[in-house]
Amino acid sequence: MTTKHSVQDFALLGGPSLFEQPVHVGQLRFPSWERYEAAMRGIFERQYYTNHGALAQQFEARLAEFLQVKHAIAVTNATLGLIMAVKALGLTGKVIVPSFTFIASAQSLTWAGAEPVFCDVDPSTCQMSLRQVRESLERETGIEAIMGVNLWGGSCDPKALESIAAEYGVELYFDSAHAFGCTIDGAPIGRFGRLEVFSFHATDVLSTTEGGCITTNDDALAARLRNIRSSYGAGPPTEVPLTSNGRFSEAQAAIGLLNLETFSDALANNRASCAVSGDCRGACAPRRANQLAIPGLPDRRANLRDVARRTACRAESRKRQRAPLFLPGHSPERAVRERFPAIRRRLARNRPPVRELDATADRRVGAAREDRGDLRPDRRCPVPCGIDFA
Amino acid sequence: MFSKKNVSDLAAVGGAPVFDQIRSTSNLVRPDFGKFLEYSTIFYEQHRYTNGGPVAKLLEQRLAAFHRTRYCVSFCSGFWALVLTMKCLAVPDKTEIVMPSLTYRRMADLAAWVGLTPHFCEVDPATLGVTAEHAERSITEQTALLLGVHPIVNNCDVDGLEKLSARTGIPLLFDSVESVYESYRGKKIGGFGRAECFSMHASKLVNGFEAGYVTTDDPELAARLARMRGFGFCGEDNVEMLGMNAELNEVHAAMALAGMDDLPGQVDRNRARYRAYQQAFSGCPGIRLLEFDETEQTSFKNIVVELKDDWPLSRAETIKLLHAEKILVRPYYAPALHQKKTSYRTIFGPLPITEALVDKFLLMPCGHFVSEDDIFQTAALMRFLFANATEIKRRMPL
Repeated sequence: MTTKHSVQDFALLGGPSLFEQPVHVGQLRFPSWERYEAAMRGIFERQYYTNHGALAQQFEARLAEFLQVKHAIAVTNATLGLIMAVKALGLTGKVIVPSFTFIASAQSLTWAGAEPVFCDVDPSTCQMSLRQVRESLERETGIEAIMGVNLWGGSCDPKALESIAAEYGVELYFDSAHAFGCTIDGAPIGRFGRLEVFSFHATDVLSTTEGGCITTNDDALAARLRNIRSSYGAGPPTEVPLTSNGRFSEAQAAIGLLNLETFSDALANNRASCAVSGDCRGACAPRRANQLAIPGLPDRRANLRDVARRTACRAESRKRQRAPLFLPGHSPERAVRERFPAIRRRLARNRPPVRELDATADRRVGAAREDRGDLRPDRRCPVPCGIDFA
Repeated sequence: MFSKKNVSDLAAVGGAPVFDQIRSTSNLVRPDFGKFLEYSTIFYEQHRYTNGGPVAKLLEQRLAAFHRTRYCVSFCSGFWALVLTMKCLAVPDKTEIVMPSLTYRRMADLAAWVGLTPHFCEVDPATLGVTAEHAERSITEQTALLLGVHPIVNNCDVDGLEKLSARTGIPLLFDSVESVYESYRGKKIGGFGRAECFSMHASKLVNGFEAGYVTTDDPELAARLARMRGFGFCGEDNVEMLGMNAELNEVHAAMALAGMDDLPGQVDRNRARYRAYQQAFSGCPGIRLLEFDETEQTSFKNIVVELKDDWPLSRAETIKLLHAEKILVRPYYAPALHQKKTSYRTIFGPLPITEALVDKFLLMPCGHFVSEDDIFQTAALMRFLFANATEIKRRMPL
């Protein structure tokens, strides 16, 4: 074990790296080689490769059962799931989305022809702020929907958002990309709003390498989603504004089914990582991830996808692959994104999520680094977790 | 052996179908399992499952070499490969894309995802492909992009379209989904226009479960596509453009590479099937088999027949009869895109050639599950239908 006694021992300053092999942030769970080979051999024997095959149907059934919902629609990846959701819900106007989330939330709206309206997050939980959502609904006209985001393997307050959506007569759906296996009131997330979208990306707690699913209890909405996904396994034709290819292959389904079998091990592993992280001397208290229950919300359970805490030192080792948490999605200009107080003042303004970076932005980034706000989103990093980091 | 003696033996009226298992128009080639596992070990050992992993990179290099282009960018599907390439190539602030009406049923939806209005044009009745002459008639001041779609058998007017693009300055993109293996005037498909898009869906020449790719010689376009498929990230944490997730996962990439290894063998098998079709349908009344241009390189994959004027049944009737026999032929194509109701605007003038072609062609069973004997049985059935058409029509409410 490499022990560091002084600043000079940091790898960036010439000391030995803490790890010989890169340690990743993502979960990166994959079945054992033997199980993978057996599952793939089965596909080669059946010679059915994609288009809503036997394994995809089985995976959808298992997901629906696990998440306690009527429909689980497996898709190529969660971003395409979010894009399909906008079309299935028929949204063409403004949608409230937190700025402090992964960029795909906002990008899905732009691709599908809706308009993101950014709101802020609660600094104590980093989940979207109910107060800000309400303020946006009061201030803005033409808001059609709220996209609730369940971040980092925890959750926002979907029940409160359901009340707000009902009160203002707007649609509500969820980007639950990180939230597979999280529970509220003892039941899994997946049943809230009109639909929820989960990610099964390699870095997520349930992996199909790439993949995702959309859950809903609404039969008509499920039929539209299946028709938008593709014409295979779509059930009865239903009128949809646009079709796509969001299909889920037998290979993805096979890996998903295998990983679902060992999902409880994945959660146990994450709990162990969190316990170690919580003991780590010098690190600030993890936001919520070293406790199974979210502080103040004992009825919720997290899947502990990201063990988030403030960075003790950025330069410990480049091999230790920490990724800064999201830079707010409502502007691509890095200088702006890094100045959270400035972003706060722009709350809920309807800005396009993506513009070409202007030529002066790089210079301004340097200046901005000297002038950080107190929330400092760039200094909070998910530490390595998942299968490589126990 | 074909055994139907009279009309009541047809499956559509209660007889036993010709085949127990369906024969489809999907290729569904099974690559060597050992090869697939070999490629899988690469990502497995590196714990890299997606996001431009080692196997996807290897596949891109392999495909660029195969098509003799400088770059290849892989995608989760041919569908999103096309959408993202349209997005990159369309002239900013212009709104229309020129495409044939007689083409892939979701082609107009593809354009709608990037906000382009499809402007439909005719195809050449001899090749079923778009020509420069037809495309030019649909060019307006608003044309942002020309889409050259290769037909299912042989190629479209590559040279004419390239000249049209050069003369008008309108970028040219090829949908080469069905021309992976083909050459045009001796040069490999892949290097024409600004870029070419391909699919590796299980039904296509190379089975990558679900996968797609783009070939180009343009370094800026290749870099932009690679960023766009990964959320527009430039560097670790900097999003510079509108992107999405259209990444190809490593398992699918491993499958596609195993399929590439099998390609020469597959083309031999396809050629044998095509020869059987040539022999079996030779002299078949009312039917014309579309011939591959064997002066060029070709995969012999897709089999298309024309129902000629003397074929006694409508195409819809023919399809119904064949489907009952578990022969899953498909119309090529129906309806034409300009005949479909869409939620978005489309533009077209009179398209008499397309409308004359739209109910004439059938895609016949092909690929891994089709034996030479199947082909002779299918031809025998077609002759049987021709000979008994009057009674079939009398007995069946088709």
